[in-house]
Amino acid sequence: MKKLLATAAIATIGMGGTAMAEECGDITMAEFNWASAELLANVDKFILEEGYGCDVELIVGGTSSIFASMDGKGEPMIAGEQWVNGVRELVDAAMDAGRLHAVNRGPITGLGEGWWIPAYTAAAHPELETVLDIIEHPELFPSAEDPSKGAFVGCPAGWGCQQINLNLFEAFDMEAKGWVLVDPGSAAGLDGAIAKANEREENWLGYYWSPTSIIGKYSMQPVPFGVEYAGDEHWNNCMSKPDCTEIQQTAWTKSEVFTLVTDEFMQSGGEINDYLAARIYPGPVMNEMLVYMADEQASGEDAAIEFLLTREDVWTTWVSEDVAAKVKAAL
Amino acid sequence: MSLFTEFPEMTRTELRDFKKAIDGSFKDFIHAYGEGIENFFKPLLHFLKWFEDLLVGTPWPIMLIIIALLVWAGSRSWSLVLGTVISMLVIGYLGMWENMMFTLALTTVATLICIIIGIPLGILMSKSDRIQSIITPVLDVMQTIPAFVYLIPIVMILGIGLVPGLIAVIIYAVPPIVRLTNLGIRLVDTDILEAADAFGASSRQKLWTVQMPLALPNIFAGVNQTIMMALAMVVVASLLGVHGLGLEVLKAVNSQYITLGFMNGLAIVAIAIVFDRTSQKFGKRLQKHSEVIHG
Repeated sequence: MKKLLATAAIATIGMGGTAMAEECGDITMAEFNWASAELLANVDKFILEEGYGCDVELIVGGTSSIFASMDGKGEPMIAGEQWVNGVRELVDAAMDAGRLHAVNRGPITGLGEGWWIPAYTAAAHPELETVLDIIEHPELFPSAEDPSKGAFVGCPAGWGCQQINLNLFEAFDMEAKGWVLVDPGSAAGLDGAIAKANEREENWLGYYWSPTSIIGKYSMQPVPFGVEYAGDEHWNNCMSKPDCTEIQQTAWTKSEVFTLVTDEFMQSGGEINDYLAARIYPGPVMNEMLVYMADEQASGEDAAIEFLLTREDVWTTWVSEDVAAKVKAAL
Repeated sequence: MSLFTEFPEMTRTELRDFKKAIDGSFKDFIHAYGEGIENFFKPLLHFLKWFEDLLVGTPWPIMLIIIALLVWAGSRSWSLVLGTVISMLVIGYLGMWENMMFTLALTTVATLICIIIGIPLGILMSKSDRIQSIITPVLDVMQTIPAFVYLIPIVMILGIGLVPGLIAVIIYAVPPIVRLTNLGIRLVDTDILEAADAFGASSRQKLWTVQMPLALPNIFAGVNQTIMMALAMVVVASLLGVHGLGLEVLKAVNSQYITLGFMNGLAIVAIAIVFDRTSQKFGKRLQKHSEVIHG
């Protein structure tokens, strides 16, 4: 690292001050405490350090603590995978006031919450294109406790999405169509239910989200709802609330994930911001990496190296040839 | 010198391969036997489901009368019957009647199965020191291993729902009844056994007419402990999606609903106290009864 900086410094003198080391320097970056964000942060760190000559320090934390610190103190400077839905009002306020900027409004594609079925179910029943089609066929998804009914596995008790699934269950009139809403009790119960169904090739319909290793591992497929999203107003004031009387059929709200940077970094970051904007992981690639992390029990750092070694096709499109060469050399 | 400062542990790769190999063979096991195991438990699922529907489907006044009668039959104590009825009414009034019935169904079936498995196992243990030395450590494991550890394999085999929840409860709740049956039989006075031998009792006669009656207080203490532990496991079972009071507690914990948590938690306590007092008083009456005979 030191050596690289030194080389860069010499080059700077030689070339009359156009190289990046001068501009880069120390960067603090958030490493959120879930797998995909760990990978993302460590890949950024490696590329920025080896390719751009920065000095990156990762700061570990959760969504709200990192956001609070970034908005309040300007530290860390970059949050790679900031999930916006949970803190939307705060994010909007900070962005309107110009304290934070979203340099990338979708660092991972195909992410979000919704209803999923296994790939083999989708392959065996191509006619089940949307939720509207599936709910007509409860007999394909028999419940263990009452095989005459179809089982729809909702959210574990007490999660925010529990109420939403309950309302959707009602909005799609699923009880009358012969479905039961199964509460998996816990994240372990939900994961286990998916794993069991897949190991035994049983049909399964339920709630989950991506990017996650379980979606990647079992190549679960999101099911489009077949209806339009009924709007934020309805979603926030009705679907997420108990006792709402005006529930309508709606698709799941889109999850938004931003790469946020502080205003200061926006001004001074230069081409780092270009890198952050270009850095987009296709959903399946991210899921594959998460499966790798889960299977090999790999840390974010190990997974980052693995990603850089094996998915050159993905990451070399994010950077210039010059930077790509430097990163490859460092690997 | 590094041998003294660093523990000689497996390398990361070795350890990972080791874990992966075990996980892998467990998955092969599921592929081979998962369906068979699930079918084996089907009758249990049907019974449990039937019993649950029965409890929930019975109109509440009838249910209340049945419970009161059972408590009276067990305890012969008016104050306990009154206390039971009042607490049930309060629980129902606070909107927890149906969940209470789910929980009652699960604990009742779990207790019955524990008795069916536990008492014969206890008798077996009391007959042979070797069997005792084999079963005791197994019981130790069952009682102390964190429930979360075996929840995952149970879910992988049986999915989520009633049966996996029931099995998790039984694993935790069966040891006391096994231990105390064994202990009760072993504690029977050797003089009395000699007397039985002198009368020419066969070992079966000895077991059923001498040892079991005299061991009853201990066995009942075991049943009592089993019920308590089954109730304590209701929340853990709900991690596998078993509905009832436990799931509401879980919901309360996940969403920081303090009142909801306490309401359902205290409802579990109320059921526990009713079960406990009734079975204790019943046990005591049995003891009196046998004292009259043998006294």
